[in-house]
Amino acid sequence: MTKTVLIVDDHPSFRASARRMLEAGGYEVVGEAEDGGGALTAARQLRPQLVLLDVRLPDLDGFEVAKRLLEASGPSPQIVLVSSHDSSDLGEAVGASGASGFVPKSELSAEAIAVLIG
Amino acid sequence: MSSLSPRLIALAVLAVAFGVCAFVVVLGGAHNTDRGAYAALALAIGWGFTGTGLYVWARRPASNLGPLMCAVGFAGLWKALTFSNDGAIFTIGSLGAVLIYAVLVHLLLSFPSGRLESRLDRGLVAIAYLNTTALQLAGLVFTDPAKSGCAKCPGNALLIERSEAAHVIGAAQIDVAVAVLGAVVAVLYRHWRAGTPGQARAFTPVLAVGSITFALLMTSLVVEQAEASSELARALSLALFASIACLPFAFLGGLLRSRFSQAEAISSLVGQLGDGGGRGALRDALAQALGDRTLELAYWVPDQGVYVDAEGRPMALDPPPPGKLATPIEHEGERIAAIVHAAELAEQPELVQTVGAAAALKLRNERLDAELRAKVAELQASRSRIVEASYEQRRQLERDLHDGAQQRLMALGINLRLIRERIAREPEQATELLDASLHELGEATSELRELARGIHPAVLTNRGLEAALKGLATRSPVPVQVLATPEDRLPLSIEAAVYFVVAEALTNAARYAQAQTVTVSVARRNGQIELEVSDDGVGGADADRGSGLRGLQDRVAALDGRMELTSADGQGTVVRARIPCG
Repeated sequence: MTKTVLIVDDHPSFRASARRMLEAGGYEVVGEAEDGGGALTAARQLRPQLVLLDVRLPDLDGFEVAKRLLEASGPSPQIVLVSSHDSSDLGEAVGASGASGFVPKSELSAEAIAVLIG
Repeated sequence: MSSLSPRLIALAVLAVAFGVCAFVVVLGGAHNTDRGAYAALALAIGWGFTGTGLYVWARRPASNLGPLMCAVGFAGLWKALTFSNDGAIFTIGSLGAVLIYAVLVHLLLSFPSGRLESRLDRGLVAIAYLNTTALQLAGLVFTDPAKSGCAKCPGNALLIERSEAAHVIGAAQIDVAVAVLGAVVAVLYRHWRAGTPGQARAFTPVLAVGSITFALLMTSLVVEQAEASSELARALSLALFASIACLPFAFLGGLLRSRFSQAEAISSLVGQLGDGGGRGALRDALAQALGDRTLELAYWVPDQGVYVDAEGRPMALDPPPPGKLATPIEHEGERIAAIVHAAELAEQPELVQTVGAAAALKLRNERLDAELRAKVAELQASRSRIVEASYEQRRQLERDLHDGAQQRLMALGINLRLIRERIAREPEQATELLDASLHELGEATSELRELARGIHPAVLTNRGLEAALKGLATRSPVPVQVLATPEDRLPLSIEAAVYFVVAEALTNAARYAQAQTVTVSVARRNGQIELEVSDDGVGGADADRGSGLRGLQDRVAALDGRMELTSADGQGTVVRARIPCG
């Protein structure tokens, strides 16, 4: 069964590439959001199984969005954080956020995601 | 001394004429004893008070003391009319017979500031006036002098009906007067204790004679009420008027004493000025000379058009702090400082000016120190703004890189990995992806180029200001005319400052001003670079809002230049900068 995905990133060109990559890798992209507020709304409506979440968003920071997604009622999605920063720039925040894991944007692929969400 | 105004001269003429009339009336009074003495006293009081009053009035036009002293003089002459044998004049005199005491209370409580400072003072004066006018009239309409122990007095023109009410009202007047006078003496003593040393010196003779006068008045009122021996009443009355006649001289003596103390203060100040002393010594010397412990000095910084304190911190003097006044001090026609002193010293403007003039040279030296400190403070502030601005630029640069080229390169990486997977199986899709990737690459390249130009435009280094400004003009969305640029190359720091000022001004013109056209002119004139960027937009720009222009102001100031912004609403915006260029 294909997993449903919500892509959260404020850069349209990145969202477009990520959508192509995920669809090629067998995921079903059910929605896109360009900021934290939009992500929370879209997750409530679309109930995706996976959220691909950029760390740096114009309104909320990605860690905060992850926390709220996991606290929200109903089944929680799996969350994979992405960033153009290296994981060394982000420190321990990734582990503390409750997300399944982190992939640098430069290494993003369907396989890398599959490894994290098992 | 200021010239006497026509009004004061007219008052003097009136006082002389009124005095002569009163003198004649008193000498001819058929119903009084001691006519010669009273005639002399009437003149002494009338002319003494008006004479000294006019002098004080001319010297201190802003003070109430002069007018009040004149009023005492005229009230004294008015009282003398009670000696008249003519019914009408006698009645007029009787109506104002005790007004002089109320004016005296008003005058003494106003000394030396010329104002009634407290509610108690104002209350006492109000009661005194009421007691000597309204109650006096009320008593008069029931008084028949011929049947009140003055057989030779002429008739009372205001008499309605002789009544016991006259006696009751008269007794009430005396009770009120005794109470008010007792309070006044106590208040005067308190004023004397509370005054500055200069005021206390001026006060002592006035307080002494005034207290004697009021004590005599109280005693004679009590004696009158007790209807004791007429010999005692007669002696008391003469003593009272003699004491009143001395008062103007007490006032003059007081003013002279305060002038002496001013002269002492100034000579001691001049002595102290020679002693050197550290920072604050001059302030202390001036505070002592003016008897104002709260005195402050404000130094004028002409470049910035502000007053600063000794530490170079700006001081707001317009308006001055509550209860304070600022007296500007000039030296050879140049403003150097202001003495910020207690408002009471406004009564002695010559003193403040004289003290200021004595200290002017020293003030000028201290001003240079304060100006230097103000400049250092401004430099420190602009230096920290420049550092702050450079951090801000780095933050912005990181943001721009992250949001722009970096994201496109990330997307490009994802695309390339997809292409690698598909190129064998789905060559058509791979080609489409390659086209999209090439587009991303082109965008990333142009964003990087734009960013690099913002850091430092290569064209400026390689081809100079004219080419760089024309490049800015070409890229501007608003049509730009470059009217003039210097022919020779300028120092790189100046070229860069000019470039970035023009770039920021063009950005603002396009982004906020809704301008139709912009003109740019850069010229080298009289050893400096003059830059002007003006647009025909909506105006209303403010350098303090938005850090862009503020940062450029600091950048220009770092080159010893000045930048100014003229941008009235609806009048377009003009940015001008001048940078020294040897």
